Amino acid sequence: MRIRAFFIPIALGIITLLHYSCEPKEDIEVAARDYHLLIDKVTAIMVNDIFSPPQASRVYVYPNIAAYEALNAHSGSYKSLIPQLNGFDKNTKIKVPDADTNLKLAALLAYMQVAEKLVFSEDVIRTYRDSLTNQWASQNPESLKKAEAYANEVSANVIAWMENDLYRETRSMPDYDFFNQDPGRWQPTPPSYMKGIEPHWAKIRPMVMDSASQFKPLPPPSFSLDKASKFYRELNEVYQISEAIRADGNDSEEIGIARFWDCNPYVSITKGHFMFAEKKITPGAHWMGICKIASLKSGADFDLTVLAYTKTSIALFDAFISCWDEKYRSNLIRPETLIAEYIDPTWQPILQTPPFPEYSSGHSVISNAASKVLTSIYGDNFGFVDDTEVPYKLPERTFSSFYDAATEAALSRLYGGIHYRSAIEEGATQGENVGDYVNNKLQLNKESSKTKDMITSNH
Amino acid sequence: MEKITEESDYLLESIAPELSGLNFSNNITEDAEHSIINYIYYYNGAGVAVGDVNNDGLPDLYFVGNSIPNKLYLNLGDFKFEDITEKAEVAGKASWQTGVTMVDINQDGWMDIYVSAVSNLLDFTGHNELYINNQDGTFTESSADYGLDIASYATQAYFFDYDHDGDLDVYIVNHSVHTTYSYGPAETRNDRKPLVGDLLLRNNNGKFEDVSEIANIYGGANNYGLSASLADFNKDGWTDIYVCNDFHENDYYYINNQDGTFTEKVDEAFSIISNFSMGSDAADINADGLPDLITLDMLPEKERILKETEGDDALYFIQQRLRKLGYKDQFARNMLQINHNDGKLFTEKALMDGVAATDWSWAALFADFNNDTHQDLFITNGILRRPNSLDFKKYVASAFKGRNQNDGLAWLFKSIDSMPSGKVSNKIFEGNSVTFNNRSGKWLNDEPSLSNGAAYADLNLDGNLDLVLNNLNGTASIYKNINPSPSNYISFKLNYLKPNLNGIGTTINLYAGQKLQSKSLYKSRGFLSGMTDQLHFGLGKNNAIDSVVVIWPNLKKQVLTNLESNRLQEVNYVQDLEDNSFRAAKPGKAAFQKTDQMEFQHQEDLYNDFLNEKLIPYKVSTMGPAVAVGDVTGNGFDDLYIGNAAGKPAKFYLNNGNELVLTPIKVFSNDSIYEDNTAVFFDADGDGDQDLYVGSGISKRGDANYLDRLYLFEQGTFKRTPSSIPDNKLVTTVVKANDFDLDGDIDLFVGNLTESKHFGSSVNSYILVNDGKANFSKLKSFKLNSKVNDAIWKDVNGDGRSDLIVATEWDGPKLFFNTVSGFKPKDLPSKLNGLWQSVFVSDIDQDGDEDILLGNWGLNSKFKPTPMTPLKMYYLDFDKNGNTETVIAYHKNGSYYPLHSRDELASQLTIIKKRYVRNKDYALKTMEDIFTPYTLNEAQLNEVHSFASGYLENNNGEFSKFVEFPYQLQLAPINSFQKINVNNKEHIIVGGNSYRSNNYQGTYSALKGFMFSSLDSIVPVSNFGIDSFKEEVKTIETISIRNHKILLIISNDGPIKTYRYEN
Repeated sequence: MRIRAFFIPIALGIITLLHYSCEPKEDIEVAARDYHLLIDKVTAIMVNDIFSPPQASRVYVYPNIAAYEALNAHSGSYKSLIPQLNGFDKNTKIKVPDADTNLKLAALLAYMQVAEKLVFSEDVIRTYRDSLTNQWASQNPESLKKAEAYANEVSANVIAWMENDLYRETRSMPDYDFFNQDPGRWQPTPPSYMKGIEPHWAKIRPMVMDSASQFKPLPPPSFSLDKASKFYRELNEVYQISEAIRADGNDSEEIGIARFWDCNPYVSITKGHFMFAEKKITPGAHWMGICKIASLKSGADFDLTVLAYTKTSIALFDAFISCWDEKYRSNLIRPETLIAEYIDPTWQPILQTPPFPEYSSGHSVISNAASKVLTSIYGDNFGFVDDTEVPYKLPERTFSSFYDAATEAALSRLYGGIHYRSAIEEGATQGENVGDYVNNKLQLNKESSKTKDMITSNH
Repeated sequence: MEKITEESDYLLESIAPELSGLNFSNNITEDAEHSIINYIYYYNGAGVAVGDVNNDGLPDLYFVGNSIPNKLYLNLGDFKFEDITEKAEVAGKASWQTGVTMVDINQDGWMDIYVSAVSNLLDFTGHNELYINNQDGTFTESSADYGLDIASYATQAYFFDYDHDGDLDVYIVNHSVHTTYSYGPAETRNDRKPLVGDLLLRNNNGKFEDVSEIANIYGGANNYGLSASLADFNKDGWTDIYVCNDFHENDYYYINNQDGTFTEKVDEAFSIISNFSMGSDAADINADGLPDLITLDMLPEKERILKETEGDDALYFIQQRLRKLGYKDQFARNMLQINHNDGKLFTEKALMDGVAATDWSWAALFADFNNDTHQDLFITNGILRRPNSLDFKKYVASAFKGRNQNDGLAWLFKSIDSMPSGKVSNKIFEGNSVTFNNRSGKWLNDEPSLSNGAAYADLNLDGNLDLVLNNLNGTASIYKNINPSPSNYISFKLNYLKPNLNGIGTTINLYAGQKLQSKSLYKSRGFLSGMTDQLHFGLGKNNAIDSVVVIWPNLKKQVLTNLESNRLQEVNYVQDLEDNSFRAAKPGKAAFQKTDQMEFQHQEDLYNDFLNEKLIPYKVSTMGPAVAVGDVTGNGFDDLYIGNAAGKPAKFYLNNGNELVLTPIKVFSNDSIYEDNTAVFFDADGDGDQDLYVGSGISKRGDANYLDRLYLFEQGTFKRTPSSIPDNKLVTTVVKANDFDLDGDIDLFVGNLTESKHFGSSVNSYILVNDGKANFSKLKSFKLNSKVNDAIWKDVNGDGRSDLIVATEWDGPKLFFNTVSGFKPKDLPSKLNGLWQSVFVSDIDQDGDEDILLGNWGLNSKFKPTPMTPLKMYYLDFDKNGNTETVIAYHKNGSYYPLHSRDELASQLTIIKKRYVRNKDYALKTMEDIFTPYTLNEAQLNEVHSFASGYLENNNGEFSKFVEFPYQLQLAPINSFQKINVNNKEHIIVGGNSYRSNNYQGTYSALKGFMFSSLDSIVPVSNFGIDSFKEEVKTIETISIRNHKILLIISNDGPIKTYRYEN
């Protein structure tokens, strides 16, 4: 028999280990690091499958929710999300698991079951799952069987709900109308001139926002090529900044910042007949990385780790919807198109322009939303060393807080020559609004205080 | 016994190297720094030149090796050759060599050799080399002495006298190696760049000087020149140049201005050109005395390769940008350009002639291989590895992860063997001066090979043209022509004046057996290769030659008669010849004079069907303009209504007898939100004036604005009546008025094509019965559920009642006899489903009754439906997501395959992406494999049996015979027929073309307009002073004014053209 700790003495900041009784067969031990490994695996698959940033946010969120519910649907440390998320049938009843079900194990299994539905390279997940289950089966086949039964129950409910989020329908909706050549309207950009990605993402059901347009930012400055206009001044600022940065050379702080936060999975290089996608993680994956760094540094236990990933991925998911809603409302042209046409035909931005409209800045929106949520969990002034991009040959960077990182992420887009200032500033506000809303709306701690899903840390 | 010759019935029999002694093999080696990754043209191969270097009468062979020594073989006769390279010292010094041509540069009567080289790229050194013949079996490289030591990215050199100063100048085709990243605006071509820009060098007493800039030759960074073809395209006696450019850069069509300069006119003279233009050749293939042109591209013919490699579909999204940058729309297929109207306009018909898809093709050579007087077509093929393999591209893209550029490229080189092989057999087509018939595998073996440069010559002097090919990583091929059929020939060798002893640029017109054959001497042809200095003519069964006209480079004309055939005829230039008279401007006044009677511009709105329905074969949102002609005011002269696309107001022109006067009508301006597809004037309310019904189509504004409208003419203007016609939100394509029930008021037929966003849907068309007060109701007893494009009321059975004839698509034409007891569908020939665009009635066979003329899609299409193997259209919500999909499937080798690539299909049906992870998995999957027979059975299925336009012959009111029109009327979709009296004779004028199609089909623009009084006398409209039709002509109308008539040519998305003519 396994005894489960129902209450974690959060106020003391002590991580309570789970206690196991000594049965003839050892039970399968599951720790936070197993969960981190799983998230890393999914990130690696997504880099390979080339998911767009909004798509990636969807691939992260549903498996996390499944894992979270496996832990918390009935009797876990935190409150169930089911009644708190849009579109979940309020009558959804996940069957109560057998009393001795290993819920952490079920959480991992439920995660993988949902993730398998979402990625293209499902065989990679399947292989990974099989290698884990083989090992678990050798440890305690009965416990695995029970956990699998419960994981199936949870994931079936999550998948049923997921499949009604209108994702499937948006796949075959009309393409972005690139035949419309109105001045100021977004046009595909070099070098691969991809058609605008995800023009219908705002139709996807948000997790907590009441609609995609709930946090609609102010409209961008009106398009104008009048040199005195706000729009033109911002356009010229992009050009001037990039010229100044270039003059400082490749080792400048600004170029470092721009590259660190590039997170563009579409960057392509052409050589002869071939075009290569230079693989990069998405901005959402970067924030999943930060979530991992914070969870490890704070010594978060399995349940809190799952909570942190889940809540952050919910904020990212809604932030992308909010941002994409604005992108295909304003359909604003990128600086690269205008600078090449009106200022300097040879100009290229420091970063490759991603294939969707300019306003508002995705990095600004999602980074600020994620930083709000992570701050609510791990506290303000949580300093950390960000090594998320090391596998992609970029150096570490140090931040004094999540907000610090979000602010830099937002500004990196101006340095990169792919966003105007308004998209960054208004995007940051938009993201903060989404993050605050997620924090307010989701009640995860069983005690009533809003801030109680945060553990105080001494960092 | 060793087998040394193939046993076969081939016309061209391969001679084994053991027998010929010809063992040259253009082997290339690859390493990390030298491969197709670092140099896009690494697999383009090299050329071969044929010429008699020792003046023994036998043509000798010179092969270029890209990076191995070149070889010179002496022809010992009887297909035996001796390698004399070493002694001759002609192995070549440059690192990477390409094209070759033989020319007597120093005019000593001995052939010299000019070899092109790629230099200053990667670590390639050297320059183009000129081997001067020392007349003793040795050569001396002397390019620097002549200024011909060009160091550039050279492809091939073309010697000719562009300025008529008597000596030989040279055009050098260079190629850029910029990546596809470097799409600059089209004007980039004006900014001459060293190494890559083409060059024109003027011969100045034996020293060649660069005159490219002053001669207006483009030479920009986007100059991807892979070949040129020289010919006097415009028949003024001066040599013009067509240059094939790879990638996005247009080809160049340089017309010689006779003053040392050229004017580039590809946009004016060509409606459609090859995209990845490679080799080319120019020759008169239809015996009209005008040089025609073929340009090669890389469209595969095999189904598997089509689905595994990148095709035109991938271009769709970049074409919009290329257009904006100033480039022409181009399509990846061979183009056969028929010279129309003295080089002013070319008609492209490769699809109709079956020569459009020969895969990765390099050299094209027109020659008469079976000596039957018709030019045949030979094409070399094959690429070592296909860089456009979709799976390889994806593999490369997804395995590049985390590598820097250099590591990535090194890794990429290691993966190079994953690129699929592109060995393809060479192709040969037999010509008959009208079309071509594929003789690959019959005239020539069909073993897959990698053949690049090619040359023809009569190597054994037996009167048949043999073939020599330079192969990549394979022994050179030599084919002996064993033409078994008794046929005659004559060859000419020209002895002209110094400094052009061989008479390059001379044209020979040979008249025999009522036929003209015209050939010009230009030595560099096809791809990277050079021919001999002889001109070879097949004479067929006829060995009598009526006459031969030699037009020398100085444009003097020499006439030869009483020539004997079956021999090599030398022609010596003689003094005191007459000047040849080139066709001057046409004498006399043309029947039609262009006028500026009215300014009307039809302008399509920005609705694009392909954004919503990604799989449909063509748009249905660009069906206008609507045109109605009628005497609205009752002054005896017909007025004109032209409806525009959504966003632009319709225009109304009052005819006062002297001119058509634009007259503003308020309600038309108010209703400019509608897309006007069709219109008709008729008296709706019985008040004696003309009212107007306008049928609407699809626009950006959504289907609330798709309603048809009825406007009554009252108190001198039009007023819209809101409710007297039934709501019709379908795509209306035709409205025709007639008092079918003979009750004294005018009724209507309303034809609908489809429902917006449901391409495959069949919809109802109907007859509206007039109650005499302009209230219309549908005739219940009449049912027509189909896809209607056009209709006409006409009594074709002579019972005094107008019958209804309807042109439908994905269905057969419909004839409804109008009888006292209602409309009776008349049986028409079965299996006559087409994409019928237009219908007209005329006594076309002149037997006294009215026949039914039907305009179809035309035979100049990638689709080749037949009654046994129809084109199929499946219509269903395949993925049950609430949106219907329309999937087109074509027949190939006994199976039906979807038209679309994996990615295209997946863009509408997401399941495809998971079901077929690689393009390789998807290729060769039939419709049944992909969709299951069960699902296909659920779908609505429509079929098309033929694309041929033609007529239903009236035989005492029976229409049981469909007669196809001649090929001229099959060149593109026919949208309009009209009767017109010219010189007191009734003619029918035909217009069409279509720019509605998806990229798989490309544009249909070859129907340049024709007129005929009978089907055996079809002539281009340009003969009558009417501009050839490049546009998508929708309607042709005539309107009378006092003293003369006006012809109106009305096109979609273009300006109206008007012509004045006398009756």
